[in-house]
Amino acid sequence: MADNGDRMFCHACGGVWLRNDSGLTCPHCESDFTEIIEIPPENPPPERADEPRTPPNMNPWADHDPWAREGTPDSPGFGFMGGGSPGFAQRTYRSPDGRFTFSSTTFGGGYSPRQEAAHADPTVPMMVQSLDTIFNGLADTYRPLRRQDGKTTILLSQMSFQALTDYVLAMLAGRRPGAPPVENLAELMGAFRADYGPRPRGGRPGARTMIGPNPLSILSALLNLDRTGDAVYSQEELDRVISQLIDQNAHGGAPPPAAGTAIRSLPKKKVDQEMLGTDGKAECSICMDAVELGTEVTVLPCTHWFHYNCIEAWLSQHNTCPHCRRSINSTGGAGEGTRESPVVIQDSPDRRTSTGQGPSSGLTPRSGRSSSSGTRSSPSQSRESRGSRDSGSRRASRGEGHHGGFTSWVWSRLGGGG
Amino acid sequence: MGSQKRIAKELAELVETPPEGITVELADESNLYEWTVHMEGPDGSPYHVQRKIPGEALLPTGYPFKPPAVSFATKIYHPNVTTDEKGSMCLGMLRPDEWKPSSKISAVLQFARQLLAEPMPDDAVEGRIAEQYKNDRKRFEEIARDWTRQYATS
Repeated sequence: MADNGDRMFCHACGGVWLRNDSGLTCPHCESDFTEIIEIPPENPPPERADEPRTPPNMNPWADHDPWAREGTPDSPGFGFMGGGSPGFAQRTYRSPDGRFTFSSTTFGGGYSPRQEAAHADPTVPMMVQSLDTIFNGLADTYRPLRRQDGKTTILLSQMSFQALTDYVLAMLAGRRPGAPPVENLAELMGAFRADYGPRPRGGRPGARTMIGPNPLSILSALLNLDRTGDAVYSQEELDRVISQLIDQNAHGGAPPPAAGTAIRSLPKKKVDQEMLGTDGKAECSICMDAVELGTEVTVLPCTHWFHYNCIEAWLSQHNTCPHCRRSINSTGGAGEGTRESPVVIQDSPDRRTSTGQGPSSGLTPRSGRSSSSGTRSSPSQSRESRGSRDSGSRRASRGEGHHGGFTSWVWSRLGGGG
Repeated sequence: MGSQKRIAKELAELVETPPEGITVELADESNLYEWTVHMEGPDGSPYHVQRKIPGEALLPTGYPFKPPAVSFATKIYHPNVTTDEKGSMCLGMLRPDEWKPSSKISAVLQFARQLLAEPMPDDAVEGRIAEQYKNDRKRFEEIARDWTRQYATS
């Protein structure tokens, strides 16, 4: 394919576009968590050219009932992968600094790569072209196509081929009020492309902005019908799993601020002889001012104490002790430990100097551009372990740091980077 | 500002009792937040030359709640120092999520110097140099020494 014809995929919203048109940033959600979709060059040449119909030998559903497989998930040929000649898709994930690369290769029937060169029109995203084939297949199964009246509501979890068909038809109906039911699938797909693909130059009367579920999400949901247990059989599903893992580890940044009420409710006490230590002197380690006997200080659950003004300034940025990094929410929050069973902050294995003497104790040089969970404090690791439970709610909060998070995840699998 | 008081205090301590091989001064007497640092390459390291290696420590206005940045003014061939014109030294303790306000600049600088003696290739910013450090120490030291002679003494 031409260099400038790269297809892009957005991991945040699932959108696809051509790099030519919108560059590396997702035009749908403006996320920069995107990927250039690599397509192996050895795809078989297309057999279908300009025919509106898929030739029977190219149609995975020509003699196939999609529901017949419901009870036999282990049947060879997984879903849409089953129809075409074998192919593979290779994806590469790279951390922003380029230091870490993760590649995956998925083998399948080549339902998408097969479409790669099928159309001379480079402006149509690959996946849409794949949909073309799918819809042509649908046409063979459900002919004649009829439009259901009324609004079409699609729940991805209950997605069916009929619903997908209805959805597309409903879109068409919105475009051309009063138009007769679509009889020609090529026409349908042409309209679909027009909706999904890049806007024609100069505009088109009656063109509308597509609303509703991303058709690619629908396709993805369809593909996942064949998911069995923990195994994944499609690139989309693999992407989803990886995205989820990234989400769960997207906490490369500093701890979040503490609540004002939590800060104000911290206990205060006057400095006594015991707190001054053996040399009878002590200082607030934030302002480094000496603290005299009787000075009122604020004590954190970890027993470290500071001037109230000093610790307030820190806690309003990060909810951990500036000295030992233990969370100040000692009794709240899963994974943060409790008074009875506190989370012990341990130096990570790669803090080689932590046992050394002198000023370097406990200090670790660290690349500012990589992140390693190996040196995370326990609360972070706890978050990782419970990430699977609340990952669903996290998916909405994607953004910076995912690559780092993913890198962390891999680092941790590789032994904490030590 | 409380931060200025602490910075002045740290600076005074550093000037009064400088750690081994490290001297600091304000780059501009009217600006507490920009320090000029001179660091002696540790004995036996490829960075040990006649002159001290110049660098700087930049303190953010949010100091000590935000970490300072340490960099070398001359090019340093080291796995943990960027080879670009910034010469940033990447210390884990200076990362926003690792930084503790209780860390003193003195400790940061002493650790930076220690890092010159003992690079940490597993936390490198310059992966290629880190590889060389691990696999071809002799060549690494040659280049590092060359760079130091070439840039730090001119």
